[in-house]
Amino acid sequence: MAIQDRTNEFRSCVESIRNRSAVPRNAEAKQRLLQSSGKPSSKSDFSRMASSIAKDISSTTIKLGKLAQLAKRKTLFDDRPVEISELTFIIKQDIAGINKQIAALQSYVKQRNGQGTKSGEGKQVEEHNHNVVMMLQSKLANTSMSFKDVLEVRTQNMKESKDRTEKFMSSTAAAAHQTPPSTHALSRPSSKGKGRAPQDGDVLALDLGSAEEGMSDGHGGGAFMQMEMMEQQDSYIQSRSTAIESIESTIGELGQIFTQLATMVAEQRETVQRIDADTVDIASNVGGAQRELLKYYASISSNRWLMLKVFGVLIVFVSPSRVPFGQPHSRAFAVPCFHSCIMSTDANCVWHHIWTIS
Amino acid sequence: MKIYSLSVVHAPPSGSSSVLSTASDLSSFSFYQRGSVAEFMTFFTKTVVDRTPQTQRQSVQENMYTAHVYNRGGAEQLAGIIITDHEYPVRPAFSLLTKMLDDFTAKVPQSQYSNPSSVSFSEIDVYIKKYQDPRQADTIMRVQQELDETKIVLHKTIESVLQRGEKLDNLVERSNALSAQSKMFYKTAKKQNSCCVLM
Repeated sequence: MAIQDRTNEFRSCVESIRNRSAVPRNAEAKQRLLQSSGKPSSKSDFSRMASSIAKDISSTTIKLGKLAQLAKRKTLFDDRPVEISELTFIIKQDIAGINKQIAALQSYVKQRNGQGTKSGEGKQVEEHNHNVVMMLQSKLANTSMSFKDVLEVRTQNMKESKDRTEKFMSSTAAAAHQTPPSTHALSRPSSKGKGRAPQDGDVLALDLGSAEEGMSDGHGGGAFMQMEMMEQQDSYIQSRSTAIESIESTIGELGQIFTQLATMVAEQRETVQRIDADTVDIASNVGGAQRELLKYYASISSNRWLMLKVFGVLIVFVSPSRVPFGQPHSRAFAVPCFHSCIMSTDANCVWHHIWTIS
Repeated sequence: MKIYSLSVVHAPPSGSSSVLSTASDLSSFSFYQRGSVAEFMTFFTKTVVDRTPQTQRQSVQENMYTAHVYNRGGAEQLAGIIITDHEYPVRPAFSLLTKMLDDFTAKVPQSQYSNPSSVSFSEIDVYIKKYQDPRQADTIMRVQQELDETKIVLHKTIESVLQRGEKLDNLVERSNALSAQSKMFYKTAKKQNSCCVLM
């Protein structure tokens, strides 16, 4: 919003109203007021200064708008650092100049007020001056705030573009940029634009107070020469780091191998347990079977009743077929003998009898 | 893979370098060549040191020899040079140079630098002998070698564990069969006792 001089409009409005109303109420005072500011050429000092300040502020705002446009561009290569830096410089100077003018205006106003004021009209004029000064100051403050914002945007974009260039260019460029310039301060007057612009822009963006710029010209250029030196250093250091990384990976592999070993042994433990159980089963089975057999043997060897009865039945069935008919008494004689032998449970006696009979 | 010579040189930036201590192992050359080779080594050493800026490492290749230089600069303005054949690994060469320079600065005071003949640094001979086999001398390489051996041993262990697994499976089968047979045995023996009283 630019300050326009609409005094003429105001005058024409007043004229029309006066012609309409035709009430001479303080017409003279009004006339006086109007006449004092009627001649377009004779403005008071204050208003002249105020208007000039307003014009400067408006032109600065326009330039700031242009700068914002330029700073918004995010292209990688079409950056126009020279323009941007020039524009920034101009705007900064303008803002400083406007600041000075406003300060002068303020002191002028104070001086005028100190000189002695006309009552009534003077108070209004004083208030008006004061308001105008406040408005100009606030306008200037807004302009400088937007200037700061534009510079921030510019630094951000430059950082992004630097990151992008680092991605595309080799990594030694990053190492070169990080090299402290104290080791070899090779200052080259002819430097590449890209190397120069970020440095300048960074200085500008971060250093709003100072009106100087364009320092550290050689930083960007000198860094490239150091790249080759750093490569040698880097290769030794990198080879060390690769060796150590390989050791690290070997140790990791060893750890994995141990884990696998432990897993395998754990699986085999289950198998071993099965074998254990089986063996115990076998032992118990065999022991039981031996017991049974022993019992059987004991029963067999001690159970003579059963055996004698069996043999007796056998003999009884076998002997009648062999003994002839004419000897009943021997058989009768033999039978009680046989019975007595059985009573005494003597196997030998029984056998003897059987043999004698047959 | 051998080291031909190892030297410590005082190399001020003004260009007048002087060899403070050197050791060489020229046993691979025939007896009559050794003199000229030694001279060549000294010349090579001096030239390369003069052309290496401070705090830089460089490797220069001659037709048969490679020289690794580490110009440490610093307060004493020392530089270490090692001349080897092409197969010697680069990184242990530089770490040997660093170690040697540290040792040298610890042992020999700076006042003796102006008088090269008075400097006695016998460790340089020890170093050149020890580092003929870099795999044993350099720490990182030794660790790597031991780790590789351990890995081989572990691989063999895992193979034997696999075989153990197979044998265990075998055992399980057999014990299973044996258990079944013994069970049958037990049952038969029991049967003997209960029925068939008739013998």
